[in-house]
Amino acid sequence: MNIEDLENEKNEGIENMPLQERRKFLQMGLAVTGVFLGGSVLSLTSASHASSQINPDLDIPVEGQYPYPKHYSMVMRQNRCIDCERCIEACKQTNHVPDAHGAYRTAIQERLTTENGVEKREFRPVLCNHCNRPPCVRVCPTKATYKDPETGIVVMDYKKCIGCKTCMAACPYNARYFNEEKYAIDKCNFCIDTRLAEGKKETACAAACPTGARIFGDLKDKSTEIYRLLHTPDTKIWVLRPDTGALPNVFYMNA
Amino acid sequence: MQNRIKTIVAILLSGFFFLATNSIAAEAYDEDSYGPEAPIAWDKPTKVNFSHKVHTMDSGLTCDACHDELFTMEAGAVLATGKMTMAAMAEGKFCGSCHDGNTAFASSTQCASCHTDVNELVPEDPIVWTKPVKAVLFYHKAHTEDFGLECDACHNDTFVMQKGAAEKADNFTMQALYEGKYCGKCHDGSTAFASDTRCNTCHIGVKGYNRMTGNDDAHEKNHKDTQAGH
Repeated sequence: MNIEDLENEKNEGIENMPLQERRKFLQMGLAVTGVFLGGSVLSLTSASHASSQINPDLDIPVEGQYPYPKHYSMVMRQNRCIDCERCIEACKQTNHVPDAHGAYRTAIQERLTTENGVEKREFRPVLCNHCNRPPCVRVCPTKATYKDPETGIVVMDYKKCIGCKTCMAACPYNARYFNEEKYAIDKCNFCIDTRLAEGKKETACAAACPTGARIFGDLKDKSTEIYRLLHTPDTKIWVLRPDTGALPNVFYMNA
Repeated sequence: MQNRIKTIVAILLSGFFFLATNSIAAEAYDEDSYGPEAPIAWDKPTKVNFSHKVHTMDSGLTCDACHDELFTMEAGAVLATGKMTMAAMAEGKFCGSCHDGNTAFASSTQCASCHTDVNELVPEDPIVWTKPVKAVLFYHKAHTEDFGLECDACHNDTFVMQKGAAEKADNFTMQALYEGKYCGKCHDGSTAFASDTRCNTCHIGVKGYNRMTGNDDAHEKNHKDTQAGH
């Protein structure tokens, strides 16, 4: 069930709830502090009023509807990815991603198929989609993860994180991991602290890509390549798991 | 009239004798000064023919040009040492002492001049380049058997027949391919698919490389251990 459906649901109240169900619900409420007290699961959605910048039918960004002063996003020209993994190396180095199993901010997925006896492969770079309605932000009990109001980047406040991993479960893109060193959840933040703060225009992964598969930029700025790519007529653009209603900001195309 | 016929017959006969004596002279092969007449034919490790005649009678070499310093004069003896390899020839040993590209054609060229079955020379295993990006796959067999290319379609103008040579070059890049170098000689969009299309036909990535080298087994094992720990 996606967010839109949930939002349209009527609050049933707890008067008619069987005792067993009530107990279960209360337990959940205690585990995820605040959900129950809020009266509605969605009342904690810090970005619930964020409007879509995506045409829901075509997944194409609609000009003039980007809800942030700077709207950072990424385009993946998927057919250009050759899985050289320079992006992963650059990311690890720039953002101090530990060399531990399961620790990653970006990854390359691979799909192998066989066509007429010939092996075919497809690579797909993935990272945090910096959704406009991020499920991870909605579920965080301490507001340790939030949408940066300036850039639209989903960032972490490591000091607030209690390591409950609810956001890991909520993320439709599996973009979060538990960082043992920070003892907090860690994730891609478009290099907001490591590169953008220093005035660099690109994330480490995009800068390291030798094929131009990753294009990073500000959608609000019409002179950027990402703007041009996303507004080129007749370009097929898609996002991952659009059905979740999270309104991701990482767009895919073969161009 | 009769005189005329006589002259014609005389001319024809003289011509016949001239040709006959000539051909008899060509067939006179002296094994003592030219070596065994029948070409030496090796079967192992690959099928190779060597003709004494081409080297002695036709090229004018004497026996001591090769015997016994380069080759002992005993059938199969040199081969039995296992030292007569293309690598040794590239270093100037055996045939390579003349076949260096200077005295005679280099041992890394004109494969079919000595190798009677070049198909058996085509490497079975693919080449996996890891520089400048990890990793690129090349199958010799696909190019020789499926597309019918000869060795000299690529060697040695486009690719030097030496392991890792292309990788060492600074310009072994996609840009060079677009300019018609390396694979781009054929992969230009007309002879074969263009170098800037179908990337993943050749680029197998780090994942493909790990699978080929067996590195992903370690990763899988690690993954299972972690899972078991939960």
